[in-house]
Amino acid sequence: MRSIAFALCLLPGIVPAMDRATADSLVARATAAYTQGDHAGALALFDSVYQHWRSAGLAYAIGNCHFKLDQVPEAIVSYERALLLEPGAEDVKANLELARQRTMDRVNELPTFRLGGSWDRWLGGRDVDQWARRGLWGWSLAFVIAALALLSRGTLRTVGLSIAGTCILFALLSVGLAARRLRAVEHPAAGIVMQPRVDVRSEPREGATTLFLLHSGTKVSLGAERSGWVEVTLANGNVGWMPAAALQVI
Amino acid sequence: MMRRTLLLLLAGLTWPLLAAAQEITFDARVDRTSFEVGASIRLTITLANAQGSFSNPDLGGLTVVQGPFESSSFNYVNGRMSSTVSRTYVITATRPGTYTIGPASARVGGGTLQTQPITVKVEKGSGATSDRLLNEGQQRDRDLFVTISLSKSKVHVGEQVVATYTLFSRYPNLELSKYDLPALNGFWAEEIDRGETTWEDQLRTVNGLQYRVAVLKKQLLFPQRAGTLRIEPLRITCVVNRSFFNRGSQVEAMSNATELQVLPLPPNAPPGMQGAVGSFSFSGALDRDQLRADEALELTLTVNGSGNLKLIEAPALDLPPDVERYDPKVNDRISISGNGMSGSRSFTYLLIPRHAGELVLGPFALSFFDVQAGAYRTVQAGPFTVQVTPGSGSGQAQLSRPSKADVEVLDTDIRFLRTGDLDLRPAGHHLLGSWAWWSGMAAPVLAFAVFLVWRRREDQRAADPAGRRRREADKVARRRFKDAHDALKRDAREPFYTAMNKALHGYLGDRFGLGAAELNAAALERALGERPDAAALARQATDLIAACDMARYAPLEVKPRQAMYEEAITLVQRLERP
Repeated sequence: MRSIAFALCLLPGIVPAMDRATADSLVARATAAYTQGDHAGALALFDSVYQHWRSAGLAYAIGNCHFKLDQVPEAIVSYERALLLEPGAEDVKANLELARQRTMDRVNELPTFRLGGSWDRWLGGRDVDQWARRGLWGWSLAFVIAALALLSRGTLRTVGLSIAGTCILFALLSVGLAARRLRAVEHPAAGIVMQPRVDVRSEPREGATTLFLLHSGTKVSLGAERSGWVEVTLANGNVGWMPAAALQVI
Repeated sequence: MMRRTLLLLLAGLTWPLLAAAQEITFDARVDRTSFEVGASIRLTITLANAQGSFSNPDLGGLTVVQGPFESSSFNYVNGRMSSTVSRTYVITATRPGTYTIGPASARVGGGTLQTQPITVKVEKGSGATSDRLLNEGQQRDRDLFVTISLSKSKVHVGEQVVATYTLFSRYPNLELSKYDLPALNGFWAEEIDRGETTWEDQLRTVNGLQYRVAVLKKQLLFPQRAGTLRIEPLRITCVVNRSFFNRGSQVEAMSNATELQVLPLPPNAPPGMQGAVGSFSFSGALDRDQLRADEALELTLTVNGSGNLKLIEAPALDLPPDVERYDPKVNDRISISGNGMSGSRSFTYLLIPRHAGELVLGPFALSFFDVQAGAYRTVQAGPFTVQVTPGSGSGQAQLSRPSKADVEVLDTDIRFLRTGDLDLRPAGHHLLGSWAWWSGMAAPVLAFAVFLVWRRREDQRAADPAGRRRREADKVARRRFKDAHDALKRDAREPFYTAMNKALHGYLGDRFGLGAAELNAAALERALGERPDAAALARQATDLIAACDMARYAPLEVKPRQAMYEEAITLVQRLERP
């Protein structure tokens, strides 16, 4: 089924610059290099695939290479990307946790209502397209059940129509979730501080009051942007402006 | 003393004769004016034909080895009388150079006589001591000095050096009252036990001077850091010439300071290198090779060789985690001599295997810096294999068995890459909003719309009973005359009429419940009942049957077959309609 959906994606002439076989062979070579400890070589190969192809596993592999090369902020960016593509992935979360231990800033997150990783995982779907696919199935099933219900009589018909309605609701909800996922992936609202030390200021200009200092590897939420400055929000709610060049958007 | 007194007495007695007799001379002479270091010359000062005393000359840095010896002679030859008094020194020089022996002066009568100064030249010769330490020591104090000598001047960190503290003395009687050993910064020192300090049997000659020699102390030094390490001078205080009548005098002497070049160990140290320097072998032994779980086992690892044995620490044991271990007992058999530290150091570990099975211990490695080779070496002991049989519940060595323990986390690292398919998707393309997705969403809607249209048509048909019956009658007729229709298509005459006949008979019989014999116009009309066209329909049916029979049995066709078929169809349709 997935390969069909995949083929459908490709149908309207959207053929990537690198074909799938090349990508697979590059990934195999990169994995071999990584296993032998050549992390820099593996990183270059993974990166070349990442130009044209996306997956949580690929972003995770790039993060691992950066981590092994002691490039902690880059590793965090890659792990966050992997988490966007596959929310709640256990391996990614474990490595991200290790990478975060090597950063300097400890930002206390505001307490939020969370059901934990499994909820994230369920809400996010295994990949970006999963909710879109679920929506399609729900939508199709709703009409099939509705048609069958119309052909029958009495209680069966009532029950059938209710199920079809539920399926429509499920399909609409799925499409909503899919749209939300797509927006999160395409327009990530978070960034990682890349420079070793950045002053976060009260206004978007040099010389404004420094509110706090951030160090490389810290995750910030992105807000408004203005002439090379970005409004950032920390997990603990602090807000300030920092140069966009010091950030890497996830 | 007695002799001198006697001489003077004799001289006093003979004085009148002498005074009148001869010319008075006073001179100094050496047997040669040029000699080598370590050799000696004779200086003779002679006063002739005079009575008096004379002083010692200034020797200008030369050392008296023997003497002075005094002699006097008195001659009376042919009435002429002569007398001489001479003093002889045996002198030497400890360093090459030019020395001037100053004048000696003698008081004779009322005047003073002086000798001429003598210049001697001392060359460096085979007898000179080339040892810099001795030369310097002798220069500090000709009679008493101490040297510190090192067995090597350039060593690696941890390599052993023997430091020898030697006392050289020309005093016949010497008592060492105290000595301050220099502070040793950067060394780990080990005393070499030599018993009581005694004078050596042989005298030692240094630049012609003879010394009694005693080795005060010997130390093994192990430099602990690289660089130039300095050993400060040793200071000793002695009492010399003490006797029953004499309290003696106190003399101080200092040794030289000495420096040692310490090279750092090469950088490529193997893992497990703990600073052992020297030449070692490594062996191990187990006290048994079979035991029960929870019983104790002794593993002895022995380091044998020479070097800084006492600085070797217990090797870290890389043992399976379910083997309980205790800190090792260290057993030294180390001898320290002038050749350095050698012997063996053994570590005895008490191990308790907790689980049955074959237990492989080791191999254990010892890394050290081999001074001779100038490189690191690693020697191994083991591996040793022990068979551990399951422990008995009542065994005396049964300890509280740790039933289960948490998995010990030794280190943390990131998890490995994902294995298997990475599930790659083209960058920037997503199912949602794509062409395929919109088609997939539209398709069921369209299908459902088609379904609704079809269903609506069905409902409309169901709502019109007349039309429905007409369609049903038509369907019945077409079904009944299917064979006839086929024959008509094939243009087969005989089968057509047979099929027509059979169909008509069958239809009418089934429809009105009439047997083949009863099928006539009257019966049909009765069966049709109240219909206004009943008579016409009955007659048409019987006519049609008759026409079919006629065409079947006689070569006479009333109508074309097509027309006949249409007529039969129309008839059935009309009969079916109410």
